[in-house]
Amino acid sequence: MNAGMEFKLSHLQSMLLFALLISIAFGFLSRRRPIDRVKYIVWSLFLFLLIGVGIGWAMYPFSR
Amino acid sequence: MAEETAVEAVPPQDSKRETIAFFIGVAGWLVPGLGHALLKMWGRAVMCLVTVGLLVILGAGMRGNVFSSSGNDAFDTLGFLADLGTGTFYLGARALETNGADVSHAGGDYGTRFLATAGVLNLLAALHAYEAARGRKA
Repeated sequence: MNAGMEFKLSHLQSMLLFALLISIAFGFLSRRRPIDRVKYIVWSLFLFLLIGVGIGWAMYPFSR
Repeated sequence: MAEETAVEAVPPQDSKRETIAFFIGVAGWLVPGLGHALLKMWGRAVMCLVTVGLLVILGAGMRGNVFSSSGNDAFDTLGFLADLGTGTFYLGARALETNGADVSHAGGDYGTRFLATAGVLNLLAALHAYEAARGRKA
């Protein structure tokens, strides 16, 4: 019925979207000045991706 | 001694402020962003509405699990509480997901996390609005 609403996202796309949305939310909630918000969002996004990819690689030896 | 008693007494305007702050917190929970909008924090209000809304739409679109109150175990109950954090958007998620959840694929699992995160994020935003309404630094 609502097949048009279904999203097929890869692992990387899902992680990127998740990290971006949460970083934006944290940036807006925790900082007041626009420049501080941008810095916080970029830094938070970078750490999200770094830790996400890092954990992915750490699990790689146990994938099978 | 009399001075100490006067300091400890809660002034009526503080009590009123607490009540208003409570209702702002509840409004922020029911409709993401409404709490901040009532405080005229427009940037944060729009951010809450957009991020929570997108997470719910993506989560439901990826066929994540929208937990109901009739959970079988503690994890289902915790999931329901997290999903309920989105307020009225919880009903939207249920309405969007007419085909039901499909967690047999990674997409469905991601969708479940998106929905739970949307709820927890909205609760955080509602608490932030509550604290701001109380006069705390926000």
